[in-house]
Amino acid sequence: MKKTTFPAFLSTALLIYCFWLLITGQIVAIFQGRASWEVLVAGALVSGFVSLFTARFFIHRNAFYLLAPKRFFSLLAYVFVFLWELTKANVDVAFRALNPKLPVNPGIVKVPADVKAEYGLSMLANSITLTPGTITMDIADENGKTNYYIHWINVKETDPAKAGDAIKGTMEKWIRRIWD
Amino acid sequence: MRIAIDILIACSVFFAFAGVVGMLRMPDSFCRMQSSTNIATFGVLGVIIGGFLYALTVLHDTSMAVKIAVLGVFYIVTNPIAGHAIAKAAYRHGVRPEKDMTIDKYGEDLEQND
Repeated sequence: MKKTTFPAFLSTALLIYCFWLLITGQIVAIFQGRASWEVLVAGALVSGFVSLFTARFFIHRNAFYLLAPKRFFSLLAYVFVFLWELTKANVDVAFRALNPKLPVNPGIVKVPADVKAEYGLSMLANSITLTPGTITMDIADENGKTNYYIHWINVKETDPAKAGDAIKGTMEKWIRRIWD
Repeated sequence: MRIAIDILIACSVFFAFAGVVGMLRMPDSFCRMQSSTNIATFGVLGVIIGGFLYALTVLHDTSMAVKIAVLGVFYIVTNPIAGHAIAKAAYRHGVRPEKDMTIDKYGEDLEQND
């Protein structure tokens, strides 16, 4: 287990404190000038205490990695890229389910992942699971290369590289831009 | 604005309906999970965005709107992990599709490693 470094502690605490402000509604109260200082101080204490124990699970590299402008704006752009992919897949699966003939052709394909960073790998896997029609079942290392096993509702390609292009679409390019 | 909110919620109801129909009609448990993702993404996102806009423009309650948005973010971030865990556990436990799959790389590789 890695040790907790101070930047890791600080970034985790800040993130937790942001969510505290959002969920308690204090962020709105601050702008309206009626924030209660008890809630703010209690949140700071709790988030500091919690991140003492959890920082080492979250941060393994540079703590303020995502705050580089290029990565941050790639992340924002990725939200829209992902929403577009989500829309296409949703419409496809919805009409597949409502089609009287029920055109499904399920199978599990093996697909290479060309992302190096750990966070990027899990983000791509989660994006694939979240689009209807594909579920990531496992990630395995094989001879230094990372592979996903993906359950696909309509198998068009069985070749790993071509299936990868069909499933991942433009998402992988953007994730590489964010994390690598 | 009310019309836009109504359209959003109607869209999400349509996708939730399609997801339920899919869950009932699909041939095996993995395909059913695919269909349930339909409900989990657009079925929920439409309601969340609709509720966000409703709280913001009709109720004028900004803190409620912020809470709804945070809820949506948490939902989107945590949901796929559950889906992945269910699919993997089902496969490893021995659940197999009734209809033959076109290709099953996962099963082949699992057998090789055993």
